[in-house]
Amino acid sequence: MRRDTSGGDGTEPLPPGYRIGDWEVTTPIGAGGWATVYAGRRVGGGSQEDDVALKILSTEGLAPRQARKVADTARREAELGRRARHPRLIRILDSVVISEPDRPFLDGAIVLVMERAARSMRDLIDAGPTEAEGARLIADVCEGLAHLHRTGWVHGDLKPDNVLLMADGSAKLADFGLATELTGTRGTHGYALPMGTFDYLPPERWKAPLGEHGVQVRPSTDIWALGIMIHQVFAAGASPFPGATPVSRAAAAQEYADGRAPLRMDNAVPPFWRALAADCLAPTHTARAAHTAETLLARITDRQVATRSTGGRRWRLPRVALMAAAVCGAAVASWSYATHDSEAGAPAAPTAAETPGRVRVFNTEQACKERTDRIPDCSLGLAVDPLRPYTVDNVVPTRVWHGDVLAADCQFSQGVPIVDEAGTWSAQWFRVRLPRGSARPTAWLPAVRTKDRPALPPCPRPTPLR
Amino acid sequence: MGGIVIHLPQGSGDAGAEPYAEDAVTLRLGPGEVARFGRGSATTPVELRLVDEAISRLAGEIRVTDDHWQLTNHSATQSYLVENPEGAGEYLRVPPRRAGTPIPFEFSRVVLPTRRNTAVAFQVFAPDHVYLDPDAMGGPWGSRTVTAYSLDETATYFLVLAALCEPRLRDESPVAVPTTPQIVERLKGHAACARLTARAVSSHIDYLAEEKMRISTPAGCEPGSRAARRNGKREAVVGLALRFGLVREEHLALLPPRTVA
Repeated sequence: MRRDTSGGDGTEPLPPGYRIGDWEVTTPIGAGGWATVYAGRRVGGGSQEDDVALKILSTEGLAPRQARKVADTARREAELGRRARHPRLIRILDSVVISEPDRPFLDGAIVLVMERAARSMRDLIDAGPTEAEGARLIADVCEGLAHLHRTGWVHGDLKPDNVLLMADGSAKLADFGLATELTGTRGTHGYALPMGTFDYLPPERWKAPLGEHGVQVRPSTDIWALGIMIHQVFAAGASPFPGATPVSRAAAAQEYADGRAPLRMDNAVPPFWRALAADCLAPTHTARAAHTAETLLARITDRQVATRSTGGRRWRLPRVALMAAAVCGAAVASWSYATHDSEAGAPAAPTAAETPGRVRVFNTEQACKERTDRIPDCSLGLAVDPLRPYTVDNVVPTRVWHGDVLAADCQFSQGVPIVDEAGTWSAQWFRVRLPRGSARPTAWLPAVRTKDRPALPPCPRPTPLR
Repeated sequence: MGGIVIHLPQGSGDAGAEPYAEDAVTLRLGPGEVARFGRGSATTPVELRLVDEAISRLAGEIRVTDDHWQLTNHSATQSYLVENPEGAGEYLRVPPRRAGTPIPFEFSRVVLPTRRNTAVAFQVFAPDHVYLDPDAMGGPWGSRTVTAYSLDETATYFLVLAALCEPRLRDESPVAVPTTPQIVERLKGHAACARLTARAVSSHIDYLAEEKMRISTPAGCEPGSRAARRNGKREAVVGLALRFGLVREEHLALLPPRTVA
């Protein structure tokens, strides 16, 4: 169903200037198993947005059954591009079927017109990214995956070759030829062609039965691949599984999943990323399901915010303000720590009249529950707007830790749903007051971040910011 | 990588000899796992017990590596043979004390000598053998997207599969799947299948369904009805092989020419 069109038989390079619909070919980019890719541009266009990539799926010489399959692949890719638009997914701008009865390679070929990227994540890994570059890349991939999974799709062939870097350095997911729409009764799984890339296939795949519609894929399939990629980013491209060939690495992954070998990651992978990769590489689907692209992204975002604010802007309650608050009897003493608060500079206890509800922050990470030293890795974020994705540009500089008690004045039940590390899901948010001197008076705590459910009035629908 | 399957048939008792295994034994080993074989004893446990006085307590061991397996010969004096039953006499000799011989056959018959006329033998299947996709040849394939089910197109099971798919590939019938006797008849003209029995055809279909394609049990079959189950399996094998392009029009050339009935 797929042939090599990169050289030898079947190759018919398209000359520069060749017209495909509104687009024209400039130069060849490369060929993969699925297709040949050319650089192109909009006819008559001169701006950077007019530069595109033309992915050509030829059906030459294929039996009708196989040709249909190529068409299906293209259709799936175009469909996903249309329905799951997002800045972190490569955009499909157009699809064209070529009619050239005299040129069998082209006649009936399907052309997908896509955004043009500068290079792939594989190139960046080979070049050896800095930790900051790696972190940004992984955050982008997580963001794309979170969107894809939220819209009900699984990528199915996530690997560094299918993550493209744009000229501005941002990353986008690409190549949705194996993408699967989640069906199942509750949208938990879908069925995909029995294909994949050895190094990125989750261990359960090797035992997965083949049904009428293919093999079962779930979002956890992509999460496993993400775990491999995180390791690769920080370990010079090496997989966490030992072996000289993809086959022996797949066998090693199986050995690990069966519990006969531990997961041994490269020491070059920084601790935060090692922990993240280990969660992505949980040996079974069930264990992995606790870690969604959304929760992984939240952890990365939280850390980015924490790291960013360590350079002096890290939140500390101004001592003077606190004193003042205490002395004046604190009309708005809205913030308190009921526990371990001495080193953080205990603010005044809230007065009952001013604090309708109190919520104690709960961190599902066991390691964080046990610490009281308020390290950045254990901090949690508060959202500016519960209606927008819980990402780095939507959190306030104030961080909170396990055990902190916050004053909440109302609750909102229709925010962006948040899933915690243990898989608990909730769209409920609490509006909490920020310490005095903060840029804004309140922020939002996802309900999954506390075990408390105080009786609070509903909040008015937040007015969209921006 | 699902591992390998070891099958020790029930002792045949040929020529009045004592059976070397009381019951048929089937072992499944995953990557990295080891099975020891031999006569065994209270102090020398073995996973695969071979009852014959000529066989050492610990005769050897099998270890799953990558997509294949390795054989270690613990005997100081005896060589073992590993035959490829489909290889027209192809075999390997594993000399005494040889450690970790890689075994390249998907189907193997491990033969240990005895003092009688019969040999002790067991079978090892390695269904995970990886084959490159037709388009992935001649370049680095490590990061390529490949079909996760690979079939040996020179194996007898592939001929059986091609024969099963033939009516649909030739568009003779959108539903017909040949019966086992029809497959035996169809492949009779093939050099490798002259002695193919109906029982062997059924085993090949079972192997394809269970080990190669890992077909999930087809729904809507009468449970308990052996014939229905077998037919459901046969149809599922054909349906999936065609749907996922495991057997294509070009494979019809592998079958012997058709004779006009």
